[in-house]
Amino acid sequence: MAVQTKTNRKSHIPEKSLLFEKIVPIALIVMGVITLALMIFAAGVLLGIIHF
Amino acid sequence: MSINQVLPFISTAVMLWFTVDVLQRYIVRRNPAFLFWGIGLAMFGAGSFAEAYLSLSWNKWMFFVWYLFGAALNAAWLGHGTLYLLARKKWRHVVTVFLVAGSLFALYLMLQAMPKLDEAVFTTNKPVSEQYGTKALEAGATVPADAQTIITTYRGKEVTAVRGLLPLGTPVRLTTPFFNIYGLFTLVGGAIYSAYLFWRKRVMPNRVIANVLIAAGALAIGSASTLTRLGYGQFLYLGELISAIMMFIGFRMAAKPQPDEVIVSNSIPASAD
Repeated sequence: MAVQTKTNRKSHIPEKSLLFEKIVPIALIVMGVITLALMIFAAGVLLGIIHF
Repeated sequence: MSINQVLPFISTAVMLWFTVDVLQRYIVRRNPAFLFWGIGLAMFGAGSFAEAYLSLSWNKWMFFVWYLFGAALNAAWLGHGTLYLLARKKWRHVVTVFLVAGSLFALYLMLQAMPKLDEAVFTTNKPVSEQYGTKALEAGATVPADAQTIITTYRGKEVTAVRGLLPLGTPVRLTTPFFNIYGLFTLVGGAIYSAYLFWRKRVMPNRVIANVLIAAGALAIGSASTLTRLGYGQFLYLGELISAIMMFIGFRMAAKPQPDEVIVSNSIPASAD
């Protein structure tokens, strides 16, 4: 019986990795908060609430 | 030359390399995302070069390049490249029309502002980002030690202002927050969203890290610019270089072909005979 091999080429995030379990999610949340703060700051400048 | 005069030239070299790399990918793949990133990076590089030049000498057209491309437009064009990867086709075209029209309008306003520049206030002793804008002082506010002031009329009132290159109320300054909010939302927001999607699906770890680096790089320059405007200009050039390097590494990682880390073999009967 002939056998064909199908290859899944997607690489996976390693299990129990400190980088992907802790550091990446925290980094994403922190960057999201900073982005929001910068956007509010820029909007404040645009609306004339913050002067500079 | 001081370290603060050398850093922007290094950032410019990194951005030039980055721009050529991205535009080469556009020529090969014809993906508009690469074109918009390439244009945004070229603007970033031009702004960085103009800033480096202005740390050594004055030239009003270098200021034009620095303000229009470096301070106003580059983030929006970079972010628009990310939008092309994430948004639906209909929306991409609509937003592209707005971006191009808005950029041309900002160009027109900047050209209008050029004859009104207060060139006498320029000094190479501090970054251009600390001296480009004239700032009206609140009643009772103390004047910074090295600042030159002027009494002028603004919105019908006589005010004391710290002199800057662009006069008080120059219309082109009103366009900058629009471009920067859009650029921040699409570039950083898009990178965070992409990283989250790959992370949640537990696939393509290199794309997760690549997008984290792109978001962090964009935030580094965004934060450094904001700090400069708040009076902490010493971080600007370092922030620019870190930003250029992080985004470049992130981009290279994202564009790299995936290694065959997981191989799933399925035995399938080839035929019944």
